[in-house]
Amino acid sequence: MRARDETDELWAAVADPTRQRLLDALLAHGEATATELAGDLPVTRQAVAKHLAVLDRVGLVESRRHGREVRYRIRPERLDAATRRLARVAANWDERLAKIKRLAESSGPKRPG
Amino acid sequence: MVPDRIEREIVIEAPLARVWEIVTEPEHVGRWFSDSAEIDLRPRGEATLTWDKHGTARAWIERVEPPHFFSFRWARPVGAEPRRGNSTLVELSMSAEGESTRLRVVESGFRELEWPEEEQAKYAEENTQGWELELNELQEYVSAQVR
Repeated sequence: MRARDETDELWAAVADPTRQRLLDALLAHGEATATELAGDLPVTRQAVAKHLAVLDRVGLVESRRHGREVRYRIRPERLDAATRRLARVAANWDERLAKIKRLAESSGPKRPG
Repeated sequence: MVPDRIEREIVIEAPLARVWEIVTEPEHVGRWFSDSAEIDLRPRGEATLTWDKHGTARAWIERVEPPHFFSFRWARPVGAEPRRGNSTLVELSMSAEGESTRLRVVESGFRELEWPEEEQAKYAEENTQGWELELNELQEYVSAQVR
């Protein structure tokens, strides 16, 4: 189903920790260029540009040309606090499931009894 | 549109019985969920999830159907007794796929969750920023018309 796919895509876009920080930084700035955002995060400008492209594709951010620079901003109607919080919940579960997988697959000694 | 639930799944290269142990036994739960856990594994049984840094969250076990299904309702914030309005339902289901196990989790009830004040404040702040952006745009638009 289309609506379902769109939601999944949106979630995948927000579940990434770097993109979460990027969105946080954008919220703080209001509007910013990839270069400005790279200054706030421990990643390169190229990486920021790549993540912004993902966020742009799912409609979470939009860009506009301002002279020679491209400025990005969040589309608040696509990303409210509740959605961001849920994205964090999803990311937490991804982490927990990965831990369960590691524990179950590790050939640790069987407990007695 | 705020989704009420999240769904995630993973395939584990281990037998169903092993995954069931990891998912339900306190010594394991204290490794993948919290820092330590106590679980009375039966319907209406009580469970606690303790994080060294954040405190203890309380939960009620809802359904226990070994080795396929386990669900519990846990409360936020830490310390609170789970009830309607402060808790979400976590459902873990497991099925064998050959030698492997598919584990699926659904957490639901987010729309009913009352938000802590700081979350509400954050939300309000974001809404304010949203309005500021719109006002800036309007201002730019008007300036452009005047020029």
